[in-house]
Amino acid sequence: MTEEKKVVDLLAVFSDLAPAADAVEQLRASGVHDDCMNVISGIPVTEAMLGRPRQWTNVPRIAMGGAILGMGAGIFLAFISPFLYPYPIQVSTQAFVPGPPSVVVLFELTMLGMLLSTFLGVFLDSFFPNYRPMKYVPEISDGKIAIFVECPDCDEKKITDLLKKLGAESVKPAEAQHL
Amino acid sequence: MSDNKHHAEHSHEEHLREKHLMLDPLPRGRMNEMVMESMMEKPTWKFWVVFGFLAFVVVYFLFYKWGVLITKGQGEAGVMRPDYWGIFLVNTVFWIGISHAGTFISAILRVFKAEFRRPFTRAAELMTTFGLVQAGFSIFMHMGRVWLFYWLMPYPNQRMLWPNLHSPLTWDLLAITTYLLSSTMYLFLPLIPDMAMARDRSTGWRKNLYKVLALGFRGTEGEWTHLRNAMNIFAFAIIPVMFSVHTIVSWDFAAATRPGWSSTIFGPYFIVGALHSGMGAAVLVLAVIRGTMKHMDYFVRGEHFDAIGKLMLIISMAWAYFFFNDYMVQWYGGDKWTQQLLHFHEAGPLGWMWFAMLFTNVVIPWATLWNPKWRSNPWIVGFVGIAINIGMWFERYIIVPISVTINRMPFTWRMYTPGIEVPMGIGTVAFFILLYMAASKLIPLIPVWEVQEGQMAHELKKFGRETVVSVSELE
Repeated sequence: MTEEKKVVDLLAVFSDLAPAADAVEQLRASGVHDDCMNVISGIPVTEAMLGRPRQWTNVPRIAMGGAILGMGAGIFLAFISPFLYPYPIQVSTQAFVPGPPSVVVLFELTMLGMLLSTFLGVFLDSFFPNYRPMKYVPEISDGKIAIFVECPDCDEKKITDLLKKLGAESVKPAEAQHL
Repeated sequence: MSDNKHHAEHSHEEHLREKHLMLDPLPRGRMNEMVMESMMEKPTWKFWVVFGFLAFVVVYFLFYKWGVLITKGQGEAGVMRPDYWGIFLVNTVFWIGISHAGTFISAILRVFKAEFRRPFTRAAELMTTFGLVQAGFSIFMHMGRVWLFYWLMPYPNQRMLWPNLHSPLTWDLLAITTYLLSSTMYLFLPLIPDMAMARDRSTGWRKNLYKVLALGFRGTEGEWTHLRNAMNIFAFAIIPVMFSVHTIVSWDFAAATRPGWSSTIFGPYFIVGALHSGMGAAVLVLAVIRGTMKHMDYFVRGEHFDAIGKLMLIISMAWAYFFFNDYMVQWYGGDKWTQQLLHFHEAGPLGWMWFAMLFTNVVIPWATLWNPKWRSNPWIVGFVGIAINIGMWFERYIIVPISVTINRMPFTWRMYTPGIEVPMGIGTVAFFILLYMAASKLIPLIPVWEVQEGQMAHELKKFGRETVVSVSELE
């Protein structure tokens, strides 16, 4: 009969950045993979400060996509819409599709597309809005730093002792809650 | 002797800490408490009196009078040949100008990593959004048949008409819409972590409100990365948008071949003017916030007024330069109608306004803001801010209705006498203040996480015998 391995799911709260960064390093050294850790904080602590792998973000790509779509809308309005009249209107000797005014339209719609999609990108990448129960401790917004460890092949006691030794204020099972 | 030296060094350090918010950190929990208390403090009777009065002004002067304007028609306003553009347009330009402060303070100072910006970026961003709301109202008032505003929108329709994209007025729609949407998004993004903070510290309806607005933010590495990237993109991209908005507004005038308007430097002149009035309004708002809201004297200090005061002084000089440049070229051109108009500006029935404009926009800022002590005093800088805004409103009045009085057809000359647009304009001012008062009770006005981030980056460092402020670049 084989014993079923329990998934370690812990939440350690640190009061400062330095012990949290040490904990990340020690956890890695003791076999916890980076994918099994997640750090939450009340200020934007960079990956380099924590010694964590660089986070991937699609926001700049989504922004670029939005800029291209916006420019497409601008091209439509500036260059195509004048031809959509049943009888295209030519005013005296004015250019039918004028250059400089078209630049204004292209600029505004490109920027609008880029900024709207940047905003949307944050929602998509962060899965916002998300009102389901999530693992969290409110102390985070008071400046604490928390490390979640969700590891299928780890020894819970060993991890707990390690985190406490490294200065964790509390180490407890992570529980999802309504925020 | 050694004790004295040690004491002097210690008191110098104490002085630096008192002076600089970034060197005077409090635990994050305490700062959160302070911001929440300032927001959730039970309003005093004075607050309700002011709030009620402003609400009355908004309902009567803005909405009721607007109803009268719609019912009876544009004849209620003083606009008539040749002054088709009156106070509605003055106010549109004025409010767009006010809205420039938020982007300037938040985006430009963020890009240049000006640390003093941290505690008041949100207060300035709110001004942008609320100012643009008033600008939108003002332009809709001017429109007359406001219910047909959707005719401006480019969409396939039964009339088979598209907006004229050759017209600066259509560019206005595109630019102001782009700016309003982007500045609102730029206000919201850095607000998300503070909404999460408020969610964690509130109960009842507030908890529900902040829960919805926090969107489920926890502060994971991924969330911060996405947010930081987005805020960087916004900070860089919104600057040219801001410049484009007021440049396009200036083209509403400069693209016409009228005396006084046809000027190639109207774009930068308008931008500098917008920054001038925007900074003046921002400093006034900060002085009021500091003077009326609990704990705000910790977050907003003399150093902030000093820094904004320096910017105001520089912008005032730039405004004077552009004003003189514009004046000089028009004066030198020798066109007889332009000469007539310039003379009318200075010696016409509203010549006092022209001189008052120069006095409030140049003389008052230059006479006060050179002095670091005065510049650090919230009420003095706030007074200068009011003066500048009065002056900048005069400037727009001179550019719009006074300048259209003089044209190349003297038989049409007529002095503009405003009608219903005066109370409606007052209504927009009241609405701006009302929105701000409501926001001060609903939104954390201080971005606490940005302040804490800044405090982490600052320290006192010894260089030889001198103790100086040192900043680390965290990103």
